[in-house]
Amino acid sequence: MKAAALALALATSTALGASTIGFADAQERGGTLNFARYDGSKLVDPIYADRNPDIWMVGSLFSTLLSPTEDGTDLVGSLAESFEVSSDGKTVSLVLRDGLKFSDGSPLTGDDVVFSLERARNPDLGPWSGLLSAVSSVSADGRNITISLERPDPALLSMLATFNTAIVSKKAFDAAPGANDQEKSAAIFAAGGPGVGSGPFYLSGFEQGSSMTFTANPHYWKEGKDGKPLPYLEKVHFEIIPDDATRVLKLTAGEVDIAEFIPFSRVAELDADPAVDMNLFPSTRIIYSPINTRETRADGTPNPLHDKRVRQALNYATNKEALIGLVLQGAGKPMSSPVMSSSTRLAADMNPLYGYDIEKAKALVAEAGLKAGTEVTLTTLAGSADDATIFAALQQMWAPLGINLVAEQVDNATRGAKNRSGEFDIHTYGWVDDVNDPSQVTGWLGYFPTAKAVGTGWNNADFNTLYEASSSEMDPEKRADQYRKMQDIYAEAAPLLFMYETPFAVAVSGKVDGYLQTPLGNNVFENVSLER
Amino acid sequence: MAGLQYTLNRILLMIPTFLLVMIIIFLLVRLLPGDPAIAIAGDKASDADIAAIRERLGLNAPLWTQFWLFLTNTLQGDLGRSILLRAPVTEVILARLPTTIFLTLYAVTLSILIAGPLAFVAALNRGKWQDNLIRAVFQVGLSMPVFYIGLLLLTFLAAQLRLFPVGGYGETFLDRAYHLFLPAVTVALYTSAILMRNLRSAIIEVLDAEYVQFARAKGLPPRLILGRHVLKNALVSTVTLLGLSIGQLMSGTLVTETVFAVPGVGRMMLEAIFARDYPLIQGLTLTFAVLVSLVFLMTDIFQSWLDPRMRLS
Repeated sequence: MKAAALALALATSTALGASTIGFADAQERGGTLNFARYDGSKLVDPIYADRNPDIWMVGSLFSTLLSPTEDGTDLVGSLAESFEVSSDGKTVSLVLRDGLKFSDGSPLTGDDVVFSLERARNPDLGPWSGLLSAVSSVSADGRNITISLERPDPALLSMLATFNTAIVSKKAFDAAPGANDQEKSAAIFAAGGPGVGSGPFYLSGFEQGSSMTFTANPHYWKEGKDGKPLPYLEKVHFEIIPDDATRVLKLTAGEVDIAEFIPFSRVAELDADPAVDMNLFPSTRIIYSPINTRETRADGTPNPLHDKRVRQALNYATNKEALIGLVLQGAGKPMSSPVMSSSTRLAADMNPLYGYDIEKAKALVAEAGLKAGTEVTLTTLAGSADDATIFAALQQMWAPLGINLVAEQVDNATRGAKNRSGEFDIHTYGWVDDVNDPSQVTGWLGYFPTAKAVGTGWNNADFNTLYEASSSEMDPEKRADQYRKMQDIYAEAAPLLFMYETPFAVAVSGKVDGYLQTPLGNNVFENVSLER
Repeated sequence: MAGLQYTLNRILLMIPTFLLVMIIIFLLVRLLPGDPAIAIAGDKASDADIAAIRERLGLNAPLWTQFWLFLTNTLQGDLGRSILLRAPVTEVILARLPTTIFLTLYAVTLSILIAGPLAFVAALNRGKWQDNLIRAVFQVGLSMPVFYIGLLLLTFLAAQLRLFPVGGYGETFLDRAYHLFLPAVTVALYTSAILMRNLRSAIIEVLDAEYVQFARAKGLPPRLILGRHVLKNALVSTVTLLGLSIGQLMSGTLVTETVFAVPGVGRMMLEAIFARDYPLIQGLTLTFAVLVSLVFLMTDIFQSWLDPRMRLS
């Protein structure tokens, strides 16, 4: 039995809810926070949320059993006051807090936990069931929850802190109209109102593509600085404003309190505005470009990028700092871990990862025998100013290697289809972790069976074996070592053009306090207060 | 009687038009590169997930089977379920259509109110400074992209002077008129420039016509000449242009609704295309086709009233 495999965490409610008399008088409560979003939610349900605008809102309406610590490196109890993994790693025991309630005041029981987790792992329902594939059964005895596993799963505790395992009310689903779970979920979302979740808010208004309103859950379990239940706000009102410029205008005109996804070209200007607090929240977002590593291109012609020396050369010839200056106006940093962002757990620090070295790049292409004037296509998003800048910069940076870079502009859906079919040389792409564990991003970028190593066609047996072994490795040290080796292999093979990490740029009015966007992208409103 | 026969013929002609539109849009949507299953599942989905979604959506069925299903369901008023919004297409379109219709009618009204009087002023002062000034101003309106005009108006009238809201859509009729004023003006500036130029030329042409000169010679008061003889005859070509402009205005809402954050079907169309939401794209295109056809029908009827010779032809 490894001591480290035994995770026993006591509830942090005391710390989180620590109240002091000094705060009680100072803490502002009430008011409506107006939030300008780049895109609207379609269905905020833990298991059906499949787009970021849905996923990032789940935590406001539903609570999970566990939650990540603020720095994202560990887990603490949320609805569960304590949790424990058995010595063989095949049983997880949790104890729920006493007196938990849903937003309508009805009790949250073990039955609700069983219902929610069974729903989350049902492969016929949502797209995230695979995250709980190791689970064989879930049972409850009063406040005690037992999760049995077919095999040890080192990522399971992280999954219990992930949106798809958030707890929903069984009673609400039983009572909802609809022939199946999907219809019931849609009916509950359309009706709105309290009762289905136990998060800090409940959905109280929704107009498709236009607006959404959350109202404070009076039965939320967590306490604020003043010793009273969170949240401080009475409501959060979201307006959907897809145009970047209009979102910024809304904020500067004082019509909204927060505007998200601020274009990086506007960051300096907003930072200089004394009425605005320009936040660059650390994120797990990486911008990279998959490189087609197949022997031949989709049209059957030889693929010069099949040779890893050429891929390495492209990486050495790319001045990431210059790209960051051009695209992000300096608000970013080069990728320093090959398969994930530097803030993802178990990320190896390989800084500089393919630091700019044009001479080395030239030597590599010469060694690979790359012909001068070789045409390579960069597939970019039509209408994306960032992609256009990336293309122009790479075209110049790679010209000394004898590469003639040409652009192909497509929309997002086409780019996705090309990635799946392998009909590309290189294309721009991005990623944000959904799970507080490296397995998801590593599986996506490197493990061939998931999605052909992000469409690159790179299929490395050693990497695949290490990934499979890490999926059931409960010894943290051994697992960390497996991840280190996977990152070494990946960096050397360079199936990606490793580019940069970007923060979440969110402009917040000076009268707002306590807003947070987590590295996974989740919007956290429970600690927000408005100066009135 | 001739008028009724003419209207009936025009309505009957709409049936093959719709059928053709349905065939074209069904094929065009499927010719687009990209896969709705990938759009639904997201970039992060595994290959197995994508395959399962394709099967669930019936995208593996032969094209002919898919079209037959689309045709028969549409004829029964069922446009299917939106892949993106997970709701019946008819329901989601009906929820957002009134906004777009309101915006379009608002813009048309403003266009007429702007173009009509100015066209008269310009035509009656042909070659003078009033005429030159009006034409120069409208030339600027014509040469600037709609979204740029929108952003300028937003920046100065909304963000700086705070005379109007930056975006959104009100609750009551008056509130909506206030919220949608800037988007409507943005669209109207462009349309009124086209209408004004056309109406000005038509008025000038009619003013020189023999029957107008005869009316003047008869000693009819100028107001009567302008109202009864000049306006009615000058309007014939302008009404055609207005009908065509409404069709353009509807497709123009795609940009305007995005810039001004107006939750109409124009913006929904953009979202549907990006998500490869086949049922929603088909439903929206059909809706646009019906609306534009209705506008053309009304234009033709109005024209036949203005110019009875059309009924006979």
